[in-house]
Amino acid sequence: MILHGDGAKPIYIQIKEWLETEILSGKIKADQKIYSQYQLAEMYNINPATAAKGLNILAEETILYKKRGLGMFVSNEAREIILMKRKNTTLKNLVRDLVGEAKRLEVSEPALIEMIKIANSEEENK
Amino acid sequence: MNVIECNQLSKAYGKFDALNLLSFRIEENKITGLIGRNGAGKTTLLKIIAGYLKKSSGELRVFSEDPFNNLKLSANTIFVDDDMNFPPALTIRQLLQAAGTFYQNWDMDLALRLFDYFEFNPNQKHDNLSKGKRSTFNMIVGLAARCPITIFDEPTTGMDAAVRKDFYRALLKDYLAHPRTIILSSHLLNEMVEILEDILLIKNGEKYFQMSIADVKEFAIGISGQKQIVNEWITGKEILYKKSYTLGNTYVVVRNDLSEAELESAKRKGLEISPVAADDLCIYLTGDTKGGIDDVFDRG
Amino acid sequence: MSLTEVNHWGIVKKQYKFKLKAYAGVFTSMMVVQVIALLLSLGGTGGSSGSSSSGFSLTTNSYSGSMVIAFTMVWAFITAILITTKAYRDDDFTFVTNRLTSNLSNMLFLTIASIIAGTTSLLTGYLLKVIVYLFFDVDLLISSSQTFSTLLIGLVATIMYILLFAALGYLVGVLAQLSKMLIIILVALFIGYPIYASTGTGIRDEPTLFITIGQFYQGESTLLLLVIKIILTVIVLFFTSLIITNRLEVKQ
Repeated sequence: MILHGDGAKPIYIQIKEWLETEILSGKIKADQKIYSQYQLAEMYNINPATAAKGLNILAEETILYKKRGLGMFVSNEAREIILMKRKNTTLKNLVRDLVGEAKRLEVSEPALIEMIKIANSEEENK
Repeated sequence: MNVIECNQLSKAYGKFDALNLLSFRIEENKITGLIGRNGAGKTTLLKIIAGYLKKSSGELRVFSEDPFNNLKLSANTIFVDDDMNFPPALTIRQLLQAAGTFYQNWDMDLALRLFDYFEFNPNQKHDNLSKGKRSTFNMIVGLAARCPITIFDEPTTGMDAAVRKDFYRALLKDYLAHPRTIILSSHLLNEMVEILEDILLIKNGEKYFQMSIADVKEFAIGISGQKQIVNEWITGKEILYKKSYTLGNTYVVVRNDLSEAELESAKRKGLEISPVAADDLCIYLTGDTKGGIDDVFDRG
Repeated sequence: MSLTEVNHWGIVKKQYKFKLKAYAGVFTSMMVVQVIALLLSLGGTGGSSGSSSSGFSLTTNSYSGSMVIAFTMVWAFITAILITTKAYRDDDFTFVTNRLTSNLSNMLFLTIASIIAGTTSLLTGYLLKVIVYLFFDVDLLISSSQTFSTLLIGLVATIMYILLFAALGYLVGVLAQLSKMLIIILVALFIGYPIYASTGTGIRDEPTLFITIGQFYQGESTLLLLVIKIILTVIVLFFTSLIITNRLEVKQ
């Protein structure tokens, strides 16, 4: 992942989303230790407090849990929480943007749905 | 624990107030960016903290002591800027050894490895180094000294982009291994913003704000679109910066105390919402006019 | 990160060692000054006198190290001023220091430099006599008798005078860094006053103030009293310098 310093998202959100993606893809499994704030700071050249902020949000969402003195670990229900969240917010927002852009470009609703279908089948044939 | 406590600090040079009733705290082992325009009082503040200059009034405590002319704090503080004084008789390698005798935590190994990496000739004299090399050398001294209070005043003057990047990386890595209180001043906020934890923004010798870097990034929001729609939407909101483009477009930066509903309404009206980069924000906040350089040319 | 504790004397010693290396140029200039003084002295220092009668001609020359010592005193004065100038005085602040330790290490440096300079200038005086003996066409060389104790007295007195000038130079330098006005006043005092006093437009024909001051030290016949007088003066001069600079800001 490459961080975007002046991008739309704050760095700690980018860190958080990257960790979520790592969990979703199965690279870090349930009950496995996740990167510490210092490892993240070193990896992404950011202040450890920024990294901690990303980790703490994940802990608040119970995607991570803390073990005293040992660090943070991935919870059992982490994957499910992330999936739910992404469907409910991320995907919804993306769809909203998509519809808005289609409207500006004067793409009709059936045409838009057709485009989605094509993209979907392309993805499945990969 | 607060390492630096500053209450109503003022510093006057004759009739000119370089610092005016400045109050802030800096916590232990944080990296703070001191940001401000040229002449805002950054260097004066840092030199008072380093014990070089006397305050005119107010209170300043560094590790609970008055820093001016204080030997104990001198042993625990290093102040790095681009005109550090070194005796011209010694080679830069000898200067490193001399620094090692003064600072208890000095890491000669680190100093020499950085020396190699940046390809210094150990027999050179400090005075004969180029401006960028001199800054790099000073930076090595500042890092290897491992002082509980490490102050860098415009450390990257003259360095090229690659060296600047290396410097911030080296600073962060050494900080992770040996946490200490670091103050970095620069007007190039953009290149160092990621390694900072807090920002202290000063303007005309006064504190503008002090907040965490994450809060700075969410402090303001940029709105752009048709002038009329924008103007309608921004009424009653705190405007930090405004700029008109051709074809009736306007870009406005407002304080981000907006509700979700307000943002939604802006989107629905076809306005574009964008985040404001920390360094742009600092420029907008410290600008004296809300227009900028364009206004100078637009009067005619 | 835990705080480092410091003791003043430890820092003074570190600074002194640092300055011995950093100010090495001071000793080079001392050697140059002494060699120049030596060469100038080869023409004879005490003024020569000649007389001739009935085919005999007699020329006496006196050679002494006094010019070397005088030059070295001027060197000490200027060196002391030099280390109070902008180029030197804030070097300490790059590393660990406060005004007190910075001043004390300067004073320690000047004291040691005076001892070295006093010894070498006395030795240069002997070198002068050796050169005259070896290379000049001298029929008769009369050397004032030297015992170990007179040698020692000469050494101590030389060192004391050089130290006195160093301490005076240090105070002058410190005053000069306070303000530009003081520089003008000091120059007027040291150069203008003797000229004024000796041109005859003054009340007296000689700079009596300086002579009086000089006699206070020179008139002393016992070494112990001379040493006490000079050491007390040096302490007063150094202490005054310390008081003046102790609350000064560091401007780089």
